[in-house]
Order: sequence, then C-alpha cells, then structure tokens
Amino acid sequence: MAVDQRFEVRQETAWCPGCGNFGIVRAVAKALNGLGLDPSQVLFVSGIGQAGKLPHYVSGNVLNTLHGRTLPTATGAKLANGDLTVIAVGGDGDGYAEGGNHFLHAIRKNVNITYIVHDNQVFGLTKGQASPRSDPGMVTGTTPLGVYNEPFNPLATAMTLNAGFVARGYAGDQEHLARIIQAAIQHEGFALVDVLQPCVTFNRINTYQWYRDRVYDLDQEEAYDRTDRQAAWKKSWEWGERIPIGIFYQVKRPTLADHYSDILDVPLVRQELDPGAVEEILSEFRIG
Amino acid sequence: MQTLNIKIGGQAGQGLVSIGTILIRAATQEGWHLFAHQDYESRIRGGHNFIQIRLADRPVASWENDLDVLVALDEATITRELGEVKPGGVVIYDPDVLGQDAKTLVEKPNCIGLPFARIAEELGQPKIMANSVAAGAVWALLSEEIAVLHETLALMFAEKGEAIVQGNQSVASAGFARVRELTRERAVPAKPQGSEPRLVLRGNDALPLGALAAGVKFMSAYPMTPSTGVTEFISEHGRIARVIMEQAEDEIAAINMAIGASFAGVRAMTATSGGGFALMTEALSFAGSAEIPIVVIDAMRPGPSTGLPTRTEQGDLRCAVAMSFGDFPRAVLAPGDVEEAFYLMAHAFNLAEEYQMPVVVLSDQHLADSYVTVPPFDLSRIEIKRGRVVSCAEAGPDYLRYRCTDDGISPRLYPGFGDGLVVTAGDEHGEDGHLIEDAETRRRMMEKRMAKQRLVEENALDPVLCGADEPELMLIGFGSTKGAVAEAVEILNSQGCRAQGVHLPQVFPLPKSLAALLQKPARKFIVEANYSGQLEDLIASRFAWKPDGSIRRYDGRPMNAKFILDRLPGGVCHGS
Repeated sequence: MAVDQRFEVRQETAWCPGCGNFGIVRAVAKALNGLGLDPSQVLFVSGIGQAGKLPHYVSGNVLNTLHGRTLPTATGAKLANGDLTVIAVGGDGDGYAEGGNHFLHAIRKNVNITYIVHDNQVFGLTKGQASPRSDPGMVTGTTPLGVYNEPFNPLATAMTLNAGFVARGYAGDQEHLARIIQAAIQHEGFALVDVLQPCVTFNRINTYQWYRDRVYDLDQEEAYDRTDRQAAWKKSWEWGERIPIGIFYQVKRPTLADHYSDILDVPLVRQELDPGAVEEILSEFRIG
Repeated sequence: MQTLNIKIGGQAGQGLVSIGTILIRAATQEGWHLFAHQDYESRIRGGHNFIQIRLADRPVASWENDLDVLVALDEATITRELGEVKPGGVVIYDPDVLGQDAKTLVEKPNCIGLPFARIAEELGQPKIMANSVAAGAVWALLSEEIAVLHETLALMFAEKGEAIVQGNQSVASAGFARVRELTRERAVPAKPQGSEPRLVLRGNDALPLGALAAGVKFMSAYPMTPSTGVTEFISEHGRIARVIMEQAEDEIAAINMAIGASFAGVRAMTATSGGGFALMTEALSFAGSAEIPIVVIDAMRPGPSTGLPTRTEQGDLRCAVAMSFGDFPRAVLAPGDVEEAFYLMAHAFNLAEEYQMPVVVLSDQHLADSYVTVPPFDLSRIEIKRGRVVSCAEAGPDYLRYRCTDDGISPRLYPGFGDGLVVTAGDEHGEDGHLIEDAETRRRMMEKRMAKQRLVEENALDPVLCGADEPELMLIGFGSTKGAVAEAVEILNSQGCRAQGVHLPQVFPLPKSLAALLQKPARKFIVEANYSGQLEDLIASRFAWKPDGSIRRYDGRPMNAKFILDRLPGGVCHGS
C-alpha cells in the first residue's frame, strides 16, 4: 500500500446516509495520510454518540470510552506514551454537555492532543434532543416550545482559557477541514477543532444549504491575525449571516508533558519497573 | 506485656501532630513498638482533636482505652478526657489555656501544670516551640535520659539549621527537667529491649509505598479525606520514583485518566473516599467491559453522603463489591494493617493486570492515619506480574484485542508497540474490538469476561488466622479491625477461652477456603464497622450461612479489643 494511503475509511458504518460524519472521517484520513503517519502510531480516543464511532471506521488504535470522558482518558494515554499521536473525537453533547468540566480542564492542562468535535447542534443517537449548541427556538424532543438555554460557545470558551489552538471546520469542505486537522495535530499542545456538521435526520435548521450560504474562510481575510486573542475571541461570536471557519487562534504554551519533562525523558510505558527503586523513599521511614 | 498509653489533646492547628511525631520517632528510636491513632474534626483550626500513642515492649496493632499520660493543650482535653486517665496516670496541662472549671478539675496531685508556650518564650524561643516543651515533658515519664529525644529533634529540624535545632532541644530540656523534678518518686518504665531497625508509618504511607514498589507509573486523583495522604505521597515522591501524579478536576476524570494511562501500557491507579468512589462507578464498569486494568484505593469514612469526613467506618464494602451497572469481573482487597497494606498493593496490581479488570483496595481512616512500627519491608517479596502481554512480533498485523481464549484472558498489546492495532470499546464488541449488535457475539463476550471472575475466585487470598486452632469462639472481620480482633482473641485465650480470629484480606470474591472455617463447631461472630452488617451479608449470601452474633461499630470511632469483648454475650466461652 502506498505510504500516503495507510489510513483507510471503512465503507460500512452505522451512520445515516448523507451524514456530516462522512465528510469528517474522510478529512481525518486525508490529514493523517498527508502527515505520513502509520496507523499503529495513532490513537483515537472517542466518546459515545454517532461521532464516537468514527475511530471504528478509520485505521488506527481505538479507545472508545464512555460518554463525555474522552478528554481525561486521552490525557492519561498521552502522558503514558507521548510517542502516540492522540486524537480525541466526540460530539457536541459528549464534549460540551456530559464532558463540559473535562473540556475546561483539558484546555488548562494543555495536554498535547487534538480534539475534534462533531458539532451538529443536536443529540443524534438519542434521536433529536437539544444540545448545548442548539440555536434558541429550535424545537426538539425535549424542548417542544423551542430551545431556551443560551448556546455554548466552544471557541470563545477555549480562548478564554488560553487554549493554544482553536479552530473551526465544516464537514462540507473536506479539503479545508483536512488542512485544519493537520495543523491541529502538528500543534504542540491542546488543539480544538470544532466541526460544523449537518445532521440530516434531526437538525432541519442547520443544513448543508444553510452552512453553504454562510461559511467563509478566515484565511481570506487579509488583516486577520491569529495570534491576537482579543480579535479572535470577538470573531468567535460571529454567527448568523456569515460564519467564519479556519484557525481562529494559535499560540505556543508549555504543555502538560513539559511540566513532567524530568520524568518523561523516556515514555512512561518504556520505563523499567523495579521494586528496589523505593529503597530511597523507604529510608525516610526507617528508624534505628 | 508492658504498655503505656499517651494521649495528646488540643485544637486543630495547635501542633498535636508535631508533638505526636516527635514522640513517635523518639520512642521508636528508644526501642518501643507502638500504635498511634488520630482523631480529628472536619475543620482547619479550633475544635478538639487528639493523637493517642500506645507504646509497648512488643509489637501492637491496636489501641487501649485507659491512659497513662494525658497531655492537654486545650481545655476540652481536661473537661472531656480526664476520666480516661487510669489510677496512677499523669496529666500534663497548660494552665494558661484552662478556664476556672477545668482548673478545679486538675487540682490533684497527679496533674502537672506546665505553661508550654510561656516556657518556650521565657527561654527566648518562639511560641511554636511549645511543642518541644510538651514532648520533653512527656519524655520525662518515659526515660531518665533526654539524649534520644535530643537526637530525634536534631534529625527532624536539621534542615532548618543549627539554631532551630538547639532552640528545640533547650526548650525540650526545660519541659523534661520540670516533669522529672515533680515525678521523682515515679519509676520510669524499663527500657524496651531490642534495637533492630524499624519503619514507623501510616496506612497512607504504606499503600503508596506498596504501589511504588509495584511499579505504578501513573496516578490521578482528586483530594478527599481520608485518602488524600496517598495522593500527596505520590505527588511528593513521584519525581524520585519517576511516577506522574496528576490532580484531576473531579473523581470521574481521575479514574478515566488512570484508565487511559493503563490502556497505553503502564500500571495506573487512583485513590479516593466514599463520595468520590461513587463518582467512579461508571468508569469501573467501563474498565470491566473494555478489560483495562485499574487499581482504586477507597479510604472509607462514615457515610451516607458527606457523613463524618474525618472519621472511620467500613461502610463502603457493599459498594466496592457491587457498585456499577452490568456484570463484570473484579476483586476487592481489604488490608488489615500497614504491612499487609504494603504487600497487598503489589498483589492488587498483579490481579488487575493478570485478569485485566478493576481491583478495589479498601482502606479506612483508622488504617490510613494510624502510625505503627513494623520491621523493614522485604522488597524481594514484591513480584511484578504483568499478565499476558504480547510483543510486536507475536501480535502480528492481525492482532485481536479480545481474542477468545480458554480462560477468557486475551493477550494485551500496548498501542504503538507493533503493527497490530489495539481496538478497545466499552460498547459490546467482537474479538477485534469493533462494535457488534448480534446476540451470539454478545453472549460469547459476556462468558469470556466472566470466566475471569471464576479464576479470580479460585486464586482468592485465604483468610489470615490467629489464636486457637480448634476454637470454641471465632471472630471474623476484614480490613482495619484486624488488630482489634487479634488482640481480643489474645485476651480471650489468656483467660482460657479457645478463641480464633479470622481476618479476610480479600473480601471479593471470597475465598472458597472460608467455607471450611464456617463449618467449624465454634460460635461465630462477625466484627465490622458498619450499621447493616455488610460483611455478614456478603458471607451469608455466598455460603448460605448465618453467624451466632454480630459486633458492629458505626459511631465513626475505631474498634479495639475492649469494644469487642464488652459486646460478646456472657457465657459464650466456657472460660469467660
């Protein structure tokens, strides 16, 4: 197999025909093939929901964990073996509702992983309830009078916490999304890629057509400076007639592994286990 | 046996732990064996706390009620605890902190007023050295010589410089001299024999030490009393042992982080208490389904809910055995003392990795916070068994994470260690780890996982016995009641009652060998620190058996021999 085709996308999936997930999984494979990685070096950690199934449909190691728990699990795996390229995957319900607290703290820790959020603004697998990303007024199974909670803004939240890499992609533009995912993987530190993803079954508002009419690439804005956090934060609130996609903000910060650099000169998983190593510590408790 | 019970009472923040630590170290150096337990409130300053040290000329594993020495740093120690002093016992109090009523109570010949802080200040030293004044005062009741105490102070304060060492030594001498002078008539106990080296440590030291010896490489935890000591221990010593301890945002994150690390191929653990343990419910089930090894220490405190956060109970047993949804294999260990705590941690990691499942180690506040002297640990007894792990070559490119085998144990491959891909899921999965929906695969996978539970049961740790071989009375317990039961058994035997203690270091699955013990003709009592008899339920449901009686404590205070003996019905033994 050609080196740049090692990541394959499985044909048979449990996704609805026309689902935005197909665009995302193809963009993921494209990005990884472009980076020349081998599937055995890549670990996907995913949650529960239709998005959480993505790792089962593309080449790589898989840790398909619990609903909302992708980020702490991915953090532990990355600290144990820093040689792995770790990509966390989940939906907006998984990451911003069930896993909301973990989202905040994974950013604070700045663990060197990529986090791809399939953001379709609705709960798909439980068949169409409101998500933290649903637009106000959207009628769903749990909001018959329309959504009334303020929508969660993942990009603004991430930037408030000084995330080092904050981006938004669109499932309908695979080329662009693949480029963003590549940049996210190459970024040293926590990289958020929120992906606008049409849900063809349960979200009749934010459709392919709806997005096509609105999204534009930030790179087309000449004056845009992705190191200016204030400007990027302001940009993350643009939602309506025009919706920006691309890398909003990027800055280098010390990663979680940097804090443990004296321990991690060899990955934890390759260190010898030796009971005798506690001798020195035991001596503190020894008397006589 | 010569034993001496010393209780130091005062407010939180007054330096009880400092005085206790000085005395514990010095007494151990002098050759004493000891057991010291701590009682403290859920607050940072004020209230009333104590540390109680039992010295003995041979190893001891529990505490006694009657005091030989009571040191009062606050008024409450006098008003509440004066009655615990045995005839001939000595009370040393600080007159500067007593109100009028308490002052009346100490107008007795055996009560010695010693203004600890004032003495330190009069000698030109800071008030905080009151602790060393008090330590010196107590030392005067233990020894005619102050040298060993001075040596201890020198070691403990060496890092703070010569002036601090000398200051502490001079105020300790002052406290020592005052009490020596006033108790000239009183004989000090015979100097204990034996000067072999010892360790003096708490359960919260022994558990993490055991984990480090076992090769733990990753820990994540969220602080919660009384487990926090374990977490801080690994944080403090992690860099020497090359271990990461990452504080998590909550217990859910803590266990999931550890599971992630374990999946990647390192020994990983978390530590928590009651409420935090409950938050780990979901992840425990995930580890069971995904077959990822994980060790969880649950340091129990009285529940329900926040309960009594700083006190002791064994009320999480049912939870540890049954917690979470669905059926999956697991083991629950319950070390009874500091030595067992150390060695069982290595066993916990071996079990977790050999059977690829969660293992819960139950501790409690009494085990966690009590100091005891033990012989140095034998590291050659620590065996690291990582279970069935395949190399890159063995795995090959077609590696199946959940390959069905005769015993249900599928060889592990660490991700990134071969061409084969490691696919793991908490959803029901096939041998390749990908998601399935069909009934046949589901049935096979359930049977594969649960086959491991049978193996765990076959290899369960046997009960640890003490006392008479052919008993007429049997006391059965688990965890930190071990010392109390052993001492009760010893006392009963000395009174002519053939008693046997049965300690269960593994409470789930229960060892089959327990069945034979339960068949013995003795009258059997279950001793446990919870209201509903959780151990009793567990044994009863496993072996269709009922005890002759139950001894339960659920006031948040630790069990001891007296508590047990006071509750044994009369005539239960021909000798009693």
